[in-house]
Amino acid sequence: MKNNILLFAILLLQTSLINNAFCQSSATNSGGQVATVQPKIIVIPYTKEGEDLRTVLENDENKRIAIAKIKEAFDSRGFTTVDFVAKLKAAKDNNVLTSENQSDIKSQIIQMSGADVYLQVEVIVEKGESGNSVKLILTAYEVSTGNSLSNKVCESGKFYTEDFIKLASKAVENCIEDFLNVMQTKFTDIVNNGKSVIIDISFDAGSAHKMSSEMGVDALPLSDQIEMWMEKNAFKNNYHIQGTTDLKMIFDDVKIPLKDQATGNNYNPNKFALELFKFLKGLGLQPGKDIKGSTIYITIK
Amino acid sequence: MKKSNKISALVISTLLLFSAGCGIKALPSAEVNYLSAEDGTLTTRAIGIGKNKEEAIIDAEKNVFNVLFFRGLPASEQKIALVGTNETAEKEKNKEYFNKFYIDKRYKSFVISSNPKSDLTVHKGGKKSIAVEVKINLVALRKDLEQNNIIRKFGF
Repeated sequence: MKNNILLFAILLLQTSLINNAFCQSSATNSGGQVATVQPKIIVIPYTKEGEDLRTVLENDENKRIAIAKIKEAFDSRGFTTVDFVAKLKAAKDNNVLTSENQSDIKSQIIQMSGADVYLQVEVIVEKGESGNSVKLILTAYEVSTGNSLSNKVCESGKFYTEDFIKLASKAVENCIEDFLNVMQTKFTDIVNNGKSVIIDISFDAGSAHKMSSEMGVDALPLSDQIEMWMEKNAFKNNYHIQGTTDLKMIFDDVKIPLKDQATGNNYNPNKFALELFKFLKGLGLQPGKDIKGSTIYITIK
Repeated sequence: MKKSNKISALVISTLLLFSAGCGIKALPSAEVNYLSAEDGTLTTRAIGIGKNKEEAIIDAEKNVFNVLFFRGLPASEQKIALVGTNETAEKEKNKEYFNKFYIDKRYKSFVISSNPKSDLTVHKGGKKSIAVEVKINLVALRKDLEQNNIIRKFGF
């Protein structure tokens, strides 16, 4: 009898501990509402090789105007972008930038900002006898995969004016809505068909395993076991293998859903990596996982 | 002779009945042209058909929205269909919204101006047409479609 009471008390304590550990705090409880995590977008200027990003922006008001106008268009669609200048300033103040190479600095800022999408703006000023004009080249990419989301060449048209700020502003106005509409169709495609992640599977230096090592109850090579798992778990069976060697297997495009198909909660590369981690554990392996943006690195010990 | 006349009259009347019953509904005309755009507005020139001037103007206005929703307007900022290219499916999916929009004339709240640019022209068969310059509040229209979950907001 005493033992039973003790057992009951332990069970009660465990339940309360589990509740405390996993239940949502009342302060943050949204009543089951799930807001979709939106992509982070950063607008950056195009720079030629060796040009300093900050001085380019500080010295060229046309670029500043173009960027401000583009951000304004995002705002009017109810979308907030990451401020490039603020990020650049913060990076310089904190001495985060490690390279002298300006194109590397650009990648570092994009990486540091945590942006999912970056939009590059190139401003071309054209002067002529029949009038002056400004052309803009807008290109939007998915940071993780480099997939192009929208491209547009915007033109202000020729005017007899030296007011290039006005021309830059006009060039943006002429095409930004069209540019955003194309971007939105790509976003809709991501919502319907999943977002891309890259998966890089390799082995630790001292690992006793290889991609050709036979595993599992059916004793198939590890690379085939992984592909069979991917076939079942990639969203809508959509994945692409870049290549497989005995020491490495790279999936350069695996689609994962934006929402957990069972719970409706937001889904992300970390959750997908955990599923793959569990599968590899199930095969008796000792995997390690790292996630950087939308790239999943799996290292098998 | 009398019998054959009766038969031919019966055949003709049956054919007439069939042609009236199975008549194909006319698709909305796509005669909508882009004129200009400024600060979230879109100006178009559209052709409307109707029994009288008022009806033809209404038809022209509705044509503009139909093209914007289900076709997209080349040369404008809305080259891609705002809602989708399968209008039958989209209208069926959001029946209530589109009924209010067209039948209850909610679309009027997105028309900034609507100016006839030609006289009413009478065509063969008694149909009358008119050219109308229609200015639309495109930003408000997109917001309305977003708020009513007809289209998704920008982003995921």
